[in-house]
Order: sequence, then structure tokens, then C-alpha cells
Amino acid sequence: MAVIRDMIPAFELFQPTSADDAIELLIRYGEDGWVLGGGMDSFDWWKERIKRPTAVVDLVNVDELHGIRTTADGIEIGAMTTLTEVATHPELLANYSVLTDAASQIATPQIRNRGTIAGNLIQDTRCWYYRGGWPCYRAGGNTCYASAPTAMNREHAILGTSRCVAVSPSDSAPALIALDAQFVIKGSRGERVVDAEDFFMRPSVDIERMTILKPGELLTTIRIPSTWAGATFYYEKIEDRKAWDFALMTVASAMRINGGVIEDLRMAVNGAAPFPIRLEDSERVLRGQTPSEEIGLRAGEVAIRDAQPLRHNDFKLPLMRNLIRRAVRGAGV
Amino acid sequence: MELWRRAANPWGQEVLIGISWDLMWAAVFAGLAFTLAHAVWAKWLAPAASTDASGGSSVAGLPAQILRHALSERVFHWVMSAAMLVLLVTAFAPVMGIQFPWVTIHWIAGLVLTATIAYHIVHATFWQDFWAMWVNGADIKAGVAELSHMLGRNGTEVPKAAKYPIDHKMFHHGAAVSGLVAIVTGIFMMLRIDTWLGAANPYLLNISDSSWGVVYVVHGISGVALFGLIITHIYFAIRPDKWWITKSMIYGFIGRDKYEENFDPARWVIPGAEPQQEELVPAGVGSPVGGVDDAAASAGGGDPAAGGGDGPAGGGDATPVVEDAPAGGDDEESGESSSGERTSEAGGLD
Amino acid sequence: MAEKLIGQDIAPDDLHAKITGRAKYAEDFKADGMVFAKLLASPMPHCRVLRIDASAALAMDGVFGILTADEVPQSEFGEQCLTNEPLYEGEAVLALAAVDETTAADAIELIKVDFEPLPFVLSPLDSLRPGSPNARLQGNTTVGRDWVSLKWTEEDFANAPEGSMPMPDTVLDADGEVIVRKATTEWMVGDIEAGFAAADLILDETIVHQSVTHHPMEPRTTMAYWQNGRLFIHTSTQSLVRTRAAVASQLDLDIEDVVMIGEYCGGGFGSKIAGSTIQLVPALFSRKINRPVMLRITRAEETYLGRARPGMQARVRIGFRADGRITALDFYAVGDGGPYAGGDQNASASTASLTYTPLNMRYRGVAMRTNTPPKAAQRGPGGAQIIGMLEPLMDKAARELGIDRLALRRLNAPEANVEYGPRGSTLTSVFVREAIDQGRELFGWEERISRSGQLNGTKRTGIGVGVSPYTAGSRGFDGLLVIRPDGIVQIHQGLGNLGTNSNFDTARAAADVLGIEWDQVEVVFGDTSRHLPWSAVQAGSQTTHAHTRANHAAGLDAKQKLQEIAARDLGGRPEDYDTSDGRVYRRSNPSQGMTLGRAATRAIQLGGRYSGEEFDDNLNDMTKASVTALAGQGLVAAARDTFGGSGGLQSWVVGFAEVELDIETGKVDVIHYTAVTDCGVVVHPRGLGGQIFGGSFQGMGMAMSQKWVFDPVWGVSFAKRLYTARPPGILDVPIDVQWAAVGIPDPQTPVGAKGIGEPCVGAGSAALTSAIADALEGKCLCRTPLSPDVLLSELEGREPAYGPLDLHV
Repeated sequence: MAVIRDMIPAFELFQPTSADDAIELLIRYGEDGWVLGGGMDSFDWWKERIKRPTAVVDLVNVDELHGIRTTADGIEIGAMTTLTEVATHPELLANYSVLTDAASQIATPQIRNRGTIAGNLIQDTRCWYYRGGWPCYRAGGNTCYASAPTAMNREHAILGTSRCVAVSPSDSAPALIALDAQFVIKGSRGERVVDAEDFFMRPSVDIERMTILKPGELLTTIRIPSTWAGATFYYEKIEDRKAWDFALMTVASAMRINGGVIEDLRMAVNGAAPFPIRLEDSERVLRGQTPSEEIGLRAGEVAIRDAQPLRHNDFKLPLMRNLIRRAVRGAGV
Repeated sequence: MELWRRAANPWGQEVLIGISWDLMWAAVFAGLAFTLAHAVWAKWLAPAASTDASGGSSVAGLPAQILRHALSERVFHWVMSAAMLVLLVTAFAPVMGIQFPWVTIHWIAGLVLTATIAYHIVHATFWQDFWAMWVNGADIKAGVAELSHMLGRNGTEVPKAAKYPIDHKMFHHGAAVSGLVAIVTGIFMMLRIDTWLGAANPYLLNISDSSWGVVYVVHGISGVALFGLIITHIYFAIRPDKWWITKSMIYGFIGRDKYEENFDPARWVIPGAEPQQEELVPAGVGSPVGGVDDAAASAGGGDPAAGGGDGPAGGGDATPVVEDAPAGGDDEESGESSSGERTSEAGGLD
Repeated sequence: MAEKLIGQDIAPDDLHAKITGRAKYAEDFKADGMVFAKLLASPMPHCRVLRIDASAALAMDGVFGILTADEVPQSEFGEQCLTNEPLYEGEAVLALAAVDETTAADAIELIKVDFEPLPFVLSPLDSLRPGSPNARLQGNTTVGRDWVSLKWTEEDFANAPEGSMPMPDTVLDADGEVIVRKATTEWMVGDIEAGFAAADLILDETIVHQSVTHHPMEPRTTMAYWQNGRLFIHTSTQSLVRTRAAVASQLDLDIEDVVMIGEYCGGGFGSKIAGSTIQLVPALFSRKINRPVMLRITRAEETYLGRARPGMQARVRIGFRADGRITALDFYAVGDGGPYAGGDQNASASTASLTYTPLNMRYRGVAMRTNTPPKAAQRGPGGAQIIGMLEPLMDKAARELGIDRLALRRLNAPEANVEYGPRGSTLTSVFVREAIDQGRELFGWEERISRSGQLNGTKRTGIGVGVSPYTAGSRGFDGLLVIRPDGIVQIHQGLGNLGTNSNFDTARAAADVLGIEWDQVEVVFGDTSRHLPWSAVQAGSQTTHAHTRANHAAGLDAKQKLQEIAARDLGGRPEDYDTSDGRVYRRSNPSQGMTLGRAATRAIQLGGRYSGEEFDDNLNDMTKASVTALAGQGLVAAARDTFGGSGGLQSWVVGFAEVELDIETGKVDVIHYTAVTDCGVVVHPRGLGGQIFGGSFQGMGMAMSQKWVFDPVWGVSFAKRLYTARPPGILDVPIDVQWAAVGIPDPQTPVGAKGIGEPCVGAGSAALTSAIADALEGKCLCRTPLSPDVLLSELEGREPAYGPLDLHV
């Protein structure tokens, strides 16, 4: 069987108008079904002819999944809200700017106009071995090519690996973890709500999935509590170019500073592990402290204690440490 | 049903990746079907206990409790069982949808299994009678007789067993082969993940990707085979009518009555006890090997099956028994056992 | 001659079509019964096709057939459009035609091809190691016309200092005959050892430059069909009539039997000079199945088939006198030529020779074949690489010698009398020192250099400069125009339309001779059935020079004919007449004259050489055919550029950059960029600015992010997508940029203009490599790309991410 790329195979397109209908379709088609949001990840997979759904469920017409709503205790973002909408929303800009900072640095303006917040969270990893159709663990195979001593793994993980060393590509995920967001997941048996940091699958548990979403489930809503509204935020993305790059690393933090002391904080990075990591050790170091260069450095060092570089990604250790330092510095050292 | 998982390698060539998980379900199904069938048979269809041509064993000087499994064997068995159980659960529970971080536990359990098996092989080879588990002609004959008995041919005479009846031996060998194969392939597979052996390296030893596929397939087949075997093994272990065997894997002993009922004293010689030797010897049965096999020296056989084999429900053994069966491994061991309180210290070779 | 149009900003005539999408590129055409072809490409870096079973594919509805390597023009050692021995991953093995692309792709997947993997090599230096594989079954390089397997010895490698590239000497016998060859090209000017003996400072550096793909926005798509034995071919090409000639020659056709349509080309950068190899597939396939065939090349295919700039592993030793003058330059380069070419290193050597005019120079180059996508000229081939790599070393020397960095460059820069390279090549003009001086002012060198090394928060300022020459012209092509009875001057151009505005801008030279306004000009191009003159290939930045000359010649021919017609009708001698504003008139009495339209009518009446029935014999055959076809339509002027001249043409760009390097992340921000060019007379200022900036930004991307990456075990590429190959995007472009031109005319060409496309890339790349080295306090990493990982490892003092000779990272 010869291999050919760059031509999307034919499929049946469904455009339901309700989440329930979409879920029903997904259950009906099972493994042959595919959820289409903005398409920014899907089209790549289809073009490569590696993922070949026969039934595509396009959520574009599901109105309940669109839009940003202020609620009694925070704000809710519909899964199909575009990244541009997120990045430019006045309430988010005013009170949750760590998210708008993150959203506004994703990919390119064109992609942000099409790509959705849920898509940014759910998207598959960009490990080029995996995306190239190599039969690796994540693809159901029996090895990880990217962790080989000869492998080209500059962009791969230094933490949280288990056989697979791919990294989560989501820029918005660490921001939502910092905001203590909750994700509403809808399935045929109703809704469940999970914390942002628990939404992402560890490869040690399931190496073939990036999130805890099961087939037939939809991420419908992102709920951001008002807990961190107006907190001191920091977000930074390091990428090779100024646009159209998946992050080498991102850091996001939310800090509650009172009288020069960090009363409480949440901090997360992405690009370091196969899932966005909440930095609880660093948080412990920083909680109750006055921000300073020393404490920032300690928070950074503690985060990379267990990091294991591959052949070409040793730079991610100092990068992660430095980004955490900068987040602390951003809190006003 | 798919048998194998295949994929295109980076050069677009089709290679094996592993077994299809359909095979796991097949093994589960086969194991459960067998146990169910046996349970049904045992409850409603089993014929009356067969009679042994030689009648009840009559052995003089048998102790009340006969040591079937020495402490070391029992420890070995249960450590190995634990490892095996952990291996099976970590291997198959995630496939069945119960997800948890299984990889590290799996390979550590694999190392534990490897260590216990290595111990067992060395122990069985140098301190025990290696051939105790060997299937000999008498075993086969006994097995055939037992089968025909089970199939309801009344009147068939089922000979009594040696210490390890043929079904125990067969289970042992099936499990041993599957286990060894799983161990060897598993150790190779550890090269492909981060372990104490080092960081993952898919290219170590220059094994081609198609050969790797074979390694994974073989590991998978041995894994599902063990899965099926262990299901049946556990089934027999928990059957009330086999409790006495299961208990012997816990406490070490079987009662004299069970011994007399089920075993041929000529084939499982209890030191200090004197099997009577007036039985007729059918021609052409038995072998010197079998004789050695039957010796008490084999008692330390450490058979994983021993705890729950489907022992023949009685029956005689027409196998000739050589009288010179060594009562114990070597002199030192014999000496040691002789110092023991129980006269049935035959198994205490270690 | 009053220059009305040269030097003005005039929007090119095709601008609206391009912006609004009305412009039709090759893939926008359709023909009756057209079918679509798809390619089956090699999944391996080197293999042999053992067996093809297409029966299942051919049985599919809507499939029209396959085209295999056995059915295309054969080449023993060169590149074929389809091959049975693919030499890189992605090389086309066969094509399949179907009613649509979905069907074609589905059908390709049903084809079974047995490939036998063959040994492969990705890094050119690796192929020199003893016992290493060769990229070709025939060897790894050629000497003369012979394939050889060139290997260095273990001692050669052991003798090199740790991390340095070996520089083994070819062993000669007493007669100078080669006994053991180490390099494929060697030359020396002066005495290298004497040069080093005279040096006060010697730098010795190993350098690695990545290969980078051209990435034109339009992939090399072609649609072709045949009518009555004539091939009609719509293709994406940089050069029109020369591509037509190439196709005719490859298919063994009379050039008149090829009608080529290529009005628009979405970029080529050297990768579509005479079209591309793969364009033969639809032509041959169409002939086989007797239907129009469209082959749209996809992005991934484009990345494989679409050529790349050759990378190199090299070592350079440079000796400087205390005053900064370079006394010796010893350059040894192993070039990544891909499977079919030899690499750029020879051009690198002569560019270094020209830019730094070392008093003594030795060059040794090894042209290695590798199993990586084919390499070809890319905008400043060889020059852009070596300038990007050597400019930081000029800074290092200036720093160590305590000399101003610009002064050191100026001191070593050539003047008009320069003789460079192995054969002492000369140039028509050199005004690089003027460009350096002008740039010093414009950039504000003194003020900016005072910020060098300053730390602002976590950002350290670096100032960089890159002095980059490249070829800028050629001579001897034809100009052709028709003055129609309606007064319109129809200027025919055989060039391609690759985004440089050359078709329109060089036509100004003819219009200026006649003194007409631009709205009286109609440029005819893009379709060989419209009777085009023989033209230069749109490559090597020849066009501005070559075709301002050719059009100037045609303009002079037209003017001569107008003067003669006026004198014949109105009395006096031809030289009494002049032309401007659409008229030919008597100088002494401007009211006495006639419109160009009237003159055109008269030319038709007069016939002969006035209306194109007769023409000069020195015209190219293709031009003659075009003139013959146009004869009688008006006043036909056709002339060959016979203005002559001696010496080659080189233009210069001096790029200046201020960057900020974040010492905690390795990220580089380009704060400011200034470029000053010496390209002679400025023909079209806005177009020139576009060329300078576009090329410079391309060079910056090359220095910073662009790459090829292969898995070393499988030889398979990961940089086949734009987002993994990382060429610069529009948001990478620095905001604060400016350019200027020296503007001194080249003395040997009538219009005074030289080309510009090429040298900008080296300037942009070098300005950044130099500025980053400056921000690293003088440390030259001497490799590309200088991405954040590489820089952060250096800044943090960690183990470098890559070995000093690692290519493709």
C-alpha cells in the first residue's frame, strides 16, 4: 500500500444544531466519527490521511457552544468560541488577562480567527514522529522514536513522560489552569465537571489520548471562577518565530499579592510535559513569600528538580526555570 | 477477529506491532468457557470416582500430615503468583478500560517474576529433582485414563497420581513456557522504555522493526496464554473439592487420607514410609526417568500449578516403581530432613 | 535622453490582478476533458523499485492510467521526472491520473510498490568517513565526469582538533599529479602560508550552515495538453521562453511546437529557473492518455521536489594584520549537494574572495552527494551562506584587534579594479565602500554601536553588519517591440513574472528611449504564442541589467526607424528628429512631426525592416520567429544587446541590524534594520525596496529559524511542513526598517542599472549572525539556525544542543 499525503479523503459531514444531537452522532459512528471544531488540527490530520474518519460532526451550528457569558461567580466560555473572540473579550481582558495574553499569542491571526478555545485545549500533540504517521506508542505502536538517543527531539518533553515524550501543544491550557478553570464535559449520560489540570491525560495512563474525553463526549463549556479575577497575572510564550509556532515553553501564573506578600497563587507551564503541568512545588515555595529574585530562582529550581532532558532538549531546563523566575518577577520584584 | 495489529513503519513497509486485543478477549473467553464447562461437568455430569486397580494405597508408617510443599516453595509460589497477578492486571485491565499508570508497575512486577523464576530454575536444577515435572509415559497413560473416565466411560481404571499429576505438569509446562517467553520478550521490550536498565532506545541491539514486531507479538501471545491459564488455575484453586491442594500451598501439608486417596505411594514416595510393591506391573509402562521422577526427591518441584491442579479423583497407578528411588537429594539434605520432627520431611530439601 | 520612467514608482500593470485574485496561476486553468494526476513518492531516502502492482488502482472507476519511470526521458546519472531508484524521501516514482484528486489519491493507495532499501547518507561529512555509505550507487561525488567514492582516512579525522572539521591535504606526486584526493575543487591565489606568516591574528573556526528550502508560495504546478502534435503547457516558472526551450529540449520537440503559458509565478527564489523537472510529468502523461493532465503539487511535495539551498560543513582559517587587513583566508568546505548537484561551496569561495579580497587565499571544496532533497541555486547561492558565516568572524577580529568593525570591512572591501577568485575575475563597477559609508550614516552606526552589549533588563543589545555581493547581470539578449497604428508601444518580454516586476520595469528602458509615458506602453508577456523575444533566465539577478539593455537596444532601433520614417516623409536627415510624448518631431521645429501611431501606419506601408519583414541576423532564432509573426502589425523594432562591456556584474547590499537578545530565553528581537545597496541606477524604487527587504528577511529567517530536520536512523524528513521548516513569516518582519541606494550608475551599461535580488539574503542573514554574536559578547556560534534553544544553551553555559559538525538540526 503506497503512502500518499496532502489529500483529504472523502467523509460524510454532519452539522447538528445541538450538543445532544452531536453526541448521538458521535456515539452512532464510534471510532469512525470525528468532532470538528475550528478544524485547525483536524485538517492537518486528514490531509496527512493518517486519521481517516468517515463521519465528521461539525459543531459550527451548535449555538449553545458559542459565546462568552458572565455568570454569578465568574465567566463561561463556550467551547466553539474562537480564539480571537477570547483574546479580545472586554471582560476577559479586564479581569482574566492571563487568558487573553495566551489566546492572542496562539499561532497566527488567521488561525485564531478559525481556531476555537476547545480546539486549542483538545488538539493533538505535534510530536513530528507521531504526526508523521510513525507507528509509535501514541499511534498504537510499540515504541517511542522521539526518545531514541539519535532522535530529533528539541521540542519534546522533560517531565511527566512515560514511554511517550511528546508535549502538549496548548497555549491556553496553562492560563486556564492558573485561573482554576473547570471544564464541563457532556456525554450521553449527562454532564461531568473536571478541574482544568485534570482534563489532560497522562501518557502513563492512556498513551493514545491527550485528554480525558471519551469517545462520544464533548467539552462544552469552560468555567472560570471569579476567584482569580483581577489577580496579578503573568504569561509568556517562547517560540522560534514570532508567530505560527507551537511553544517551546509557556508559563502562566495568577497571584494574589497583599502587602507585598504572595498570599496565594497558581502557576502552570506547558511545553515541558505531555500534559500542561501545574507547578505545585513552586507554588509552595512562593506562597506567603515576598517576591524576590532569590525566591523566584528557588521556585524555578524546584520545578525542574526531576526533569530529564533528552538528547536535544536540555535547554528546556533553564528555560523552564527562567520562565518561572520571570513570572515571579512579573509579580513585581 | 483480528489476530495481529499491523502498521506501516516509517518507510511505509507493513510491520507487526503486536497482538490484537481480540486475542485477549479470546483467551478470557476460552478460560471462562473451560471453567464453566468444568463446573457444569463436575456438578452434574461427573461419574463416580474411579477405582484404582491397585485399590487404596497402603503404605506403612505414613505420618498424619504429609508435607507437600516446603516453605521455600510456598513462598516462591506466592511471590510468583503476586507478580503474575500484578503483571496480568497491569497488562490487561487498561485494555479492558480500567486506566491507571501501569507501565512501571508492570515491568517491576516482571523483574520480580524473573527473579522468582530464576530462583526456581536454579533451585529445581541443582537442589531438586529437575525431572520431577517431566511428563513420562505413566503420566500420559494416567491422563488418558482420567480423560476417558471423565468422558463417562465407567469402569475405566484411572491410576493414581505421582506427586504431580499430569494435568499439574501440563499446566506447569504451559505456564513455564509462556512465562519464560514473556520474560525474555519482556526484558527485550524494557529496552524500549525508561527503566533501571537505562533510557529508552528503540534501536539498541540493531533489532529490525519487523523483528521487534515478532517480539511484541510473542509477548502478547504468552501474555494472553497466561491470562487464560491463570483463570483456570484460580478456578481450580478455589473449587471446594480442591481446597485440600490449595491449602497445601498455604500450610504445606496434606492429610494422610488425601495422600492415600489420590497418590500412588510408589510414585510419590514419602521417606520413612514403605510403599508395598506387590502390584502387578503391566508391560511397557514406565521408564527409569519416570522412576526418578516419582522419587520423593521431586517433592520440591515448586509447581505453580500445584496449588490448584485438577488432581485425579483417585485411581490407581500401575507404574512400576523402582525401589532405589533416592530418598532425598543428597546426603546432606537427607541428613537435614532426618533431623526434622516430621517423618514426611521428604520435601524439605531446601 | 530624458529618463522619464526609470527611477519612478509606477505600479506594475499586473498589480490589481494579483491583489484581487483575478491573476490566473498554472493551477487555475482548465481544459476540456482535463484529468488530475497525483504522484506516488518514495518513502525511503534511497531505494530501488523492484515491482509495481497497480492492477487494483487501474481497476478503479475514474482512473485513467499510470505513468512510470520507464516512460519518461532517461538520464543515467541525472534527475528524471520519475525514477526507479529514488535518491531521497519524497522523490516521485510514478504518477496516476484520475477524474479528480480524491480518486487519484485513493487509487495511489491501492498501488503496491516493492522498494528495496539502499544505503543512504544525510550529512555530507558523514559520507567522507571511512566505510560510510554513499548517496549514490555510483559513488558520493564526481571528479571530472567520473563518479568516485571519496573517503577521508581515520587519521584525517583524528588529526582535526576536537570539534573542528578536518582539513586534509590532497597528496600529490613530484609532477603535481594527484595520488590521494581529498577535495573535488582546489585553488590557491598567492601563498597561503606566507599569508598566515604575515598575520598578527589567526582565527580558526568550524562552521555549519543548514540547507533551507525555497518555499515559494505557489507550488510548481503544471497543466498540459497536446493539439496536433503541439504541446500546450501551463506552468509555474521563473523564466518563460527559457523554460519553453528547456521543455522542448527535454521532450525532444521543436521549440515552435511548445506553447508555454506562465503569466504569473508565485515565487521561485531560484527553484523554478527553467521550470522544474516534475513539469514533464503532465506533458508526458497527457500524451500517453490523450487528455489534458493537471498536476497540482502539494505543499509537502513542494518541500521535497522544490529544491533547497545547499548547506555545508566547513572550516575557515583567516589571518589578519594588526590593521585589520586580511592576509590569508583558508577555506575548506564540504557541501551538501543533495543527490543530483554538487553544492554551493565553490560560489561561497569566490564570494569570500571578492568580499574580503584576502591577499592570499586557498580554497578546497568537496562536492558531496547526499540522500536529501535536491539542491539548487537559491537567491545568492553560496554567497548568502558564506557571508552569513564569515561576517561575525570579521567582528571577532575587529574586537580582538581593537578596530572599528565597519573600518575593518571597508579596508578589506574591493574597489573597481578588483581581481578575485581563482581566475582573477574583474567587475564593471564596485561601490561597496560607498554603500558602507552611506549605511554608517543612515543606520547611525556610532550611536547604535555605543549600545552594543548593553543589558536592559534581561535583554542584551547586539549590533551587526553584513556586507554581501552577488551577481547582477548578463549581456546579449534581444529586445522586441511593436509600435501599433493606435500609438500604443507594445513591448514584448520573454521573461517570467516571478514577483520581481521585471517584465514591466525593464520595459521602461525602451519607453524612455522613445520618451513616452507609461500609459502608452503595453507589455506583452507570459504566453509564448504571443511572440516573445529570446530572454535571459530569470536567475542570478541578471534581468534588470540584461533586459534594460535589450529593451534599450530595441528602443534605439525603434527610434532609429521613427527618425528615418519622419525624415523620409517630412524631409531632412533622420538625426534631425527626436521622439517624445508619443511623437517623432523635428528638433528645430517640434511642431513638424507625426504621432507614433501615424509612423506605425507608415512603417506598415513601407514594409521591409520597418514592419518586421526584415530583421538583423544577429537576433536569436526565437526572436526572429516572433518578429516574422508580428511583421506588418506596426513598426517592429527588434535588436540584440550589443553594447558590450568587460567584466562581470556584482551588486552589493550592506545590512545593519540592531537586535536584543533575551539572556533568559534565547529569544532575539530585531529592533532595527537598515540596508544600503549598490545596484547602479535605481529603476523602480518601491520595487527595489521590496527586493531588498524581502531578500533580507529571507536571510534573517535563514539565520534564525529555517531548517531541514531528518531522523538520522530512517532518513525521513520532519521539515516538510511550513510550520516545521520555519521560514520567516510576515509577523517576523521587523517594523523599523529602512533602505537606501548608492545610486551610482554602472559605467558599462547604457541604463546604468544592475540586478538586486540575490545579495540581500546574505546581508540580512549576516546582519543577524553578526548582531547575535555581538549580543553574545563576541562569541560566534558559527552555525545556523540561531534558534532560542541554541542560544539559551550557550547563554546558560550548558552542553551545546548539537555537535559542532551536526547538520540538519
